[in-house]
Amino acid sequence: MFYRQSGVHHTRYQTARRLWPLPTDQRIVWLLLALAVAAPFYMSDLYLTSYMLPWLIWSAAALSLTLLMGIAGQLHFGFAAVMAIGAYTSIHLTRAGVPFELALIGAGLMSAVIGCIFGAAALRVKGLYLVMATLAMQYLVDWTIINVPAISGGAQATLSTPSVSLLFVPLRGDTALYYGALLWAVIVTLLVLNIKRTSFGRALVAVRDKDFAAAVIGVNPFKYKLLAFFTSSFLGGVSGAVLAFCYYQAVTPEQFGFNVSIQLVAMVLVGGLGSVIGAFLGAGFVLLVPIILTNVVAYAAVAGWLTVSSNLLAHIPLMVYGGLIIGFILFEPLGLAKIYDNIRKYFLVWPFRHTQS
Amino acid sequence: MSDQHAAAGEQVLVCDNVSRWFGGLQALKSISISVRRGEIFGLVGPNGSGKTTLVNAVTGFYPPQEGDIRFLGTSINRMKPHRVAMQGIARTFQNVALFRGMSVLENILLGRHIFMRPSALASLFYWWWAQKEEIAHREKAEEIIDLLQLESVRDEPVDVIPLGMQKRVELARALCAEPKFLILDEPMAGMNQEEKEYMVRFILDAQEALGLTVLLLEHHMDVVTAICDRVVVLNNGEKIAEGPAREAINDPAVVAAYIGKRHDAA
Repeated sequence: MFYRQSGVHHTRYQTARRLWPLPTDQRIVWLLLALAVAAPFYMSDLYLTSYMLPWLIWSAAALSLTLLMGIAGQLHFGFAAVMAIGAYTSIHLTRAGVPFELALIGAGLMSAVIGCIFGAAALRVKGLYLVMATLAMQYLVDWTIINVPAISGGAQATLSTPSVSLLFVPLRGDTALYYGALLWAVIVTLLVLNIKRTSFGRALVAVRDKDFAAAVIGVNPFKYKLLAFFTSSFLGGVSGAVLAFCYYQAVTPEQFGFNVSIQLVAMVLVGGLGSVIGAFLGAGFVLLVPIILTNVVAYAAVAGWLTVSSNLLAHIPLMVYGGLIIGFILFEPLGLAKIYDNIRKYFLVWPFRHTQS
Repeated sequence: MSDQHAAAGEQVLVCDNVSRWFGGLQALKSISISVRRGEIFGLVGPNGSGKTTLVNAVTGFYPPQEGDIRFLGTSINRMKPHRVAMQGIARTFQNVALFRGMSVLENILLGRHIFMRPSALASLFYWWWAQKEEIAHREKAEEIIDLLQLESVRDEPVDVIPLGMQKRVELARALCAEPKFLILDEPMAGMNQEEKEYMVRFILDAQEALGLTVLLLEHHMDVVTAICDRVVVLNNGEKIAEGPAREAINDPAVVAAYIGKRHDAA
């Protein structure tokens, strides 16, 4: 129908290596980008700031994590701590008068360095043990932030973000904040897409798939695992800073607790490990499901069909995450991205029924 | 093949009294071999005789506890596997070790890793930075794809193609690194006669086109006698015979190791 591979011929490697070789895919991408750029003009402020904006930033965070978990194959259950480091660093830097752009880079570097210190220690172990080691990072960072007044501003304190400007545009008002988030999401998306088609990404996948075979062709497994930690933590740190400045506009330690780490892992797993579109789908799914669910349950409770305590209501999303992760691992291990891929392949071969893979 | 040439050639790989223990088991007992430039050197022996262990010692996976390994005059004894690869030694594995998450082309391109400068920044600025490098190395990879006739499967995921093809992809990945020395660990295991003949042809072609020195581990004696210049036979970690292929394989000790002696056959 509209998806056709016929007629697409490559005569140069440059075109064969394009991100989206099919014209239909290109049109879809441009359409989505146009919709995202035009969002402030057709969306109400409520939807823009409470749905679109967090979705974009969480997608960027999920992309950072999928680079580490999906592409490089290193599990990380303390990614919220990485984001917390970025958020607090950026706030302290901007308060000290550093320009916002530099503060973002500083936030990324701080997260990357601390992430790497834990990574280097944790990378001596694999699999489940790596999970435990990264969990330890989550709790250590949480504890340090809460108990060092110089970082958190005292226990239970909230640090509000100073007003800043990004690329000479004051980061004030819904539209400016939205564009800030969109810019970051686009940068991370392009980066991860490009990593996947260049030697860096191939080396990471090689280490993930068979580290001894990677070593035999000259890839230093430890170096690339560490580089994966560095890059991913850098992006995570900047995402945390963007989240603090563009969405929360204030930070408290609870915003980056352990449950946020689990939420990020859920985004990556539900969306599909190592997939770019999966990060967006997963983030959207994980953000929307609790909202819909809470509304449904609350509506049912109000209507008198079932009685739930508010305590239980707060825990339902967590249970659903657990259920979702198990469900996806059992029935669709490659996540929402695979479902999208199946639909796309269906149209690609239509009216025939069988795809190649 | 090229006896006169090989006899005059310099030594590429020298293993000097290499020993390796795994706990109480001595897998390699003072093995000495020397491979000369340009030859195909066969390493044969029954299962468990230490062939793969010797290769793992050379490529840095199991550094020998005793002895020395020199490659082109430099000791590579305690080098990590990826450092050994950078010296110009490439190898394939007995059970295919391809990266299953990638296509055939990406697997082969990984062979170019040691010549590339991978970095996240280069990827971020792909259009101004990484693209040129990627395309230059793609051209190199296409030469190898051409040589090994892999054009038809270039874009397939590597785990859907047949085993014979996978072994060829692994050879292509090794050749892409432009090695001076190539170690093939049972490249014909599990192949039928036709695939075997293809593989032999590709090995000879590659050796001729790229001027390789090859260390071949193989169980198929027809292949060994057909293409190997010299052969070393291992049994229980010991070297039991050495010399031109046909003579070494007909050595009574080798026949005994493979088939058993007359008196214990009864």
